[in-house]
Amino acid sequence: MTAAHSLVVEDLSAGYGERTILDDLDLSFAAGRITSIVGANGCGKSTLLRTLARLLAPSAGQVLLDGKSVHRSPTRVLARTLGLLPQSPVAPEGITVADLVSRGRHPHHGLISRWNSHDDAAIAKALEVTQTTDLADREVDALSGGQRQRVWIAMALAQETDILLLDEPTTFLDVSHQVEVLDLLTDLNHQRGITVVMVLHDLNLAARYSDQLVAMTGGKLYAHGEPNSILNEEMIQSVFGLRSQVIPDPISSKPMMLPIGRHRLASER
Amino acid sequence: MTAHMDNSLMKVRRGRLKRARSWRALLAIFVFILAAGFALTLMLGQSFTPLQEVLRVLLGENVPGASFTVGQLRLPRALLCILAGCCFGLGGVAFQIMLRNPLASPDIIGVSGGASAAAVFAIVVLQMDGVAVSIFSVFVGLGVALLVYGFSYRNGVAGTRLILIGIGVSAMIESFIAYILARAPSWDLQEAMRWLTGSVNSAQLSQALPVLIALLVFGGILLCRARDLEALRLGDDTAAALGVRVGVTRITVIVCAVGMIAVATAVTGPIAFVAFLSGPIAARIIGSNGSLLIPSALVGACLVLVGDYIGQFLLPSRYPVGVVTGALGAPYLIYLIVRVNRNGGSL
Repeated sequence: MTAAHSLVVEDLSAGYGERTILDDLDLSFAAGRITSIVGANGCGKSTLLRTLARLLAPSAGQVLLDGKSVHRSPTRVLARTLGLLPQSPVAPEGITVADLVSRGRHPHHGLISRWNSHDDAAIAKALEVTQTTDLADREVDALSGGQRQRVWIAMALAQETDILLLDEPTTFLDVSHQVEVLDLLTDLNHQRGITVVMVLHDLNLAARYSDQLVAMTGGKLYAHGEPNSILNEEMIQSVFGLRSQVIPDPISSKPMMLPIGRHRLASER
Repeated sequence: MTAHMDNSLMKVRRGRLKRARSWRALLAIFVFILAAGFALTLMLGQSFTPLQEVLRVLLGENVPGASFTVGQLRLPRALLCILAGCCFGLGGVAFQIMLRNPLASPDIIGVSGGASAAAVFAIVVLQMDGVAVSIFSVFVGLGVALLVYGFSYRNGVAGTRLILIGIGVSAMIESFIAYILARAPSWDLQEAMRWLTGSVNSAQLSQALPVLIALLVFGGILLCRARDLEALRLGDDTAAALGVRVGVTRITVIVCAVGMIAVATAVTGPIAFVAFLSGPIAARIIGSNGSLLIPSALVGACLVLVGDYIGQFLLPSRYPVGVVTGALGAPYLIYLIVRVNRNGGSL
């Protein structure tokens, strides 16, 4: 249903002002798959996502979408292929769900083009898929955190992009809503072939829901591959500086990490 | 699934059409109120002029008595009120939307003050007049806007920082205006009031022309950018992800909003709080039914027109329009500061 796009990062360095955060990264994101970027706070996960989404210009190297630099492509054209849900988007006061979702159609309109039935259809479909149709006339301010996140995802879906980038889409949500959002992203990936690249904090959920993990430390790539092949005690030690035990997740049979701290150990006392 | 889908589609389309209809209906009400206000201010004054006579004067006929009171006194004044009000309202709301904060209005962050100081300086010290004053004010207004913007720039512009710096700059500019006026001994009090509070006293048709041109040119560009501006309300990152060139949009909005406000200020002085009040009033009425740009311009025009009428005829003695709008705006400013302090509200 969607075209396979190649999203590649070449010799990428980026940062804010003098401070370099990403240091010479090379990566290729698998088309039609779910990839999660994991790592400790300040390792450059969000910076990488922002650079992929051309919100931040690289200081060296480039991000190539289908062979073309995203930082040199016309931004409106790019917005029809590459969607982003930032970490803390702002909902204007009093805006309704349907209105907010309709903002996703922005890149499909120029100065004079009129609203057409395809726009309505895209919005209806986005509401349908995220199960927010019943909320359409409600105000976004009045929704619960989980509902609000579904609405933002609906907005990104109305944009009809083949690639969706998400910056910590599960932060501030309780565990049932986290699972709900990740299930929704998986549905989108399976049904529509959307390529999902996201930053996730919860390593175990990332391992369970991702086809590929990108582990970063100190602005550099530590490992990139399937959770089964890269998530192990050594990686946790190097990336998070944490002792741990990795066991098979009984639910998904993907690897699951159990941290080892200084206290509350069965061998203690 | 398809039945479901049809249901959602209906819901989306119905909602969109309903919003568009409400927006148009509310806009029609704004236009009606403004037209009624315009007609009334032409008919009522020290004396009453019947509507037929007003219409005859407007059509260019020579009506004894009415030609002077309506054609020379009331019409230029009413037109200037409407045009300046539109400029303040539109320019103000553009800033408020762009920076997602009602306090980021040009009259709070020193842009109007800068334009006004430039006009005073140009008239009193440089002895300029007419278009030259307008152009000078536009450039100084822009300069102040860029100064405030530049000072508050650190890894992007944070709204609160910009507002605080703007309030500081604004205070400096006001003392500069007071200083210049104090140094101009022959300057009469009425004229001084214009630069301190804003006034449309002794308006002439020729003064309305530059304001009209500024409104058409800058306002036209702003309306063309309305969608991008609207997308900025979702936050800079979301707007950029939606394909908005954030930097370009910002600069365009700043230049256009400052341009129209500075030209209007050069003629009427900074009519207090109109830029600041129009957007929030329009937002309260329009809700999320559609764009706030045109409604805010109309609210601005109504505020100046009605404020001027109140100042002229409904108070014990005559006051310039800025005194009336100032009395309206100050309590709202206090309310906003209290509310923003509590929960960081947006427009």
